[in-house]
Amino acid sequence: MSIATYVVMDFWRNLRNLGNSFFVIVLPTVLFLFFGSSMEWSTIRVGDGNISAWTMISIACYGAAMAATSLAGSAAVELQQGWGRQLALTALPHSGFVAAKTIVALCFAVLPVLTLNVTGVFTVTDMPLGTWLATAGLTVVGVLPFALYGLAIGMAFRSDAAVGTATGLLVIFSFLGNAFTPLDGFLLDLGRFTPLYGVVALARYPLTGGDQISMNGIAGNDPLWAVLANVVAWTAVFGAACLMLQRRRTRRQ
Amino acid sequence: MDTQPVLRLEGIRRSFPDGAGGRTAAVDGVDLTVSPGEVVALLGPNGAGKTTLIDIVLGLVAAEDGFVEVLGTTSRRAVTSGRISALLQTGGLLPDLSVRETVKMIASLHRNPRDTDEVLAAAGAAGFASRRVSRCSGGEQQRLRFALALLTRPEVLILDEPTTGMDVNARHDFWRNMSSLADEGATIVFATHYLEEAERFARRTVLMDAGRVLADGPTADIRRRAGAARVTVTWAPSDAELAALDHVLGVERHGARIELRTDDADALARELLTRTGAHGIEVASASLDEAFRYLTAPSDEKEVAA
Repeated sequence: MSIATYVVMDFWRNLRNLGNSFFVIVLPTVLFLFFGSSMEWSTIRVGDGNISAWTMISIACYGAAMAATSLAGSAAVELQQGWGRQLALTALPHSGFVAAKTIVALCFAVLPVLTLNVTGVFTVTDMPLGTWLATAGLTVVGVLPFALYGLAIGMAFRSDAAVGTATGLLVIFSFLGNAFTPLDGFLLDLGRFTPLYGVVALARYPLTGGDQISMNGIAGNDPLWAVLANVVAWTAVFGAACLMLQRRRTRRQ
Repeated sequence: MDTQPVLRLEGIRRSFPDGAGGRTAAVDGVDLTVSPGEVVALLGPNGAGKTTLIDIVLGLVAAEDGFVEVLGTTSRRAVTSGRISALLQTGGLLPDLSVRETVKMIASLHRNPRDTDEVLAAAGAAGFASRRVSRCSGGEQQRLRFALALLTRPEVLILDEPTTGMDVNARHDFWRNMSSLADEGATIVFATHYLEEAERFARRTVLMDAGRVLADGPTADIRRRAGAARVTVTWAPSDAELAALDHVLGVERHGARIELRTDDADALARELLTRTGAHGIEVASASLDEAFRYLTAPSDEKEVAA
């Protein structure tokens, strides 16, 4: 038995899926090159770095969340469309499937983070090395609620189209999550309660210590507990949805 | 060890929610023992409980009640060791993989898999190994599933309606493959709703309906009991003439036409055409539905001329 072979082949299968790779790697990189490294304000200092760093982290969060949602969602669809039965006829235990898929999803989520950070290094992005590593690490950790979100959608609707829609919705979450256009006033207050806000704010925490940057300077400060509360709450919501759906599924069997 | 049964099922029960608060029994008290080297058809209409029973044998679904033993051990152990494998019904493949990649991926999860090209050739899938699964015809996908089932050199092969979606040629090739496996000593259990497939490939048939085994025995006996064919002729016989006929299981009159249910259409046709005034003969095979109707009806009704 060689789970490594399975993981590598599954990773390659997802990578050559052009839709996946485009939205997870190409689009975030292009967005960053436009809005994160060539604007007149890109090199203005914020926190321990510059605006380019702020933008890079935001877009990396968006890419990583896309990767996690789409991979977890397609895993749920695969299992329910009969691939799970095929796997159940091998020596692989069910926990093995979960482990293999987690590794693939994690590798996939690391891709946009890695690509954007490397692009950042070669353009105008500036942060101290420690901050840089911390934000990159937090960006990857932040995919957890979105892996659960994708899983829940995949389990509920059992179709690739539904997972595609769920991935598309992340654009709206990203906007409200203050990851694209810097928000201010009412939209910022509203955004604080949306699912991507927490993970983006967490990833940017090492850079600005919770300050939210807008076009007019600092629009507000989020204490660490508030940021964590958002992440924990949404992880719990999506996790509970998965448990509920799983229970519904086993009851039906 | 040779005399140890390959499958031993006793009192298997499994029900599912019926959507209205209650539960429907999918498998309702099934006993089944299969010996090494047997080829057994699990014959029944849709909803008879065949797939659920197969899922229980493979450990994909747990029985609520009863005893399951596969190759002297649990289903899961028999699957893990690769001694039993299965060709599942539609689905179960990833559309964006190629045929060869699918075999490689599944092979990587077995303990001691056969060579990929070897199983592709054995299943007749070598010719389209680099094709995407999504571009394969139903018959080609089925050959791929067959290749997957061969990966572990299984002693027991379970097939769930294996020829669904195949054209006549593919069906023929598929069963030729199966026959050679059976000749090598593999035990094969296949679910089907074609009486004809049971007749051609299985010496033993287990007839299922509504979660129960209605009959279990040599396929030829089952067929005979079910009434193999209907012979229709234009004829106005007396009761004595009718009673003198051999091989008649049931009679129905439709105006000038008379329909005879028989277990030997050839003998009956010969007798009718040579020794009676019957003419305008038509012979039709009994459908599985009819077979079920006769097998489930109380036995005294079967002999009564309607």
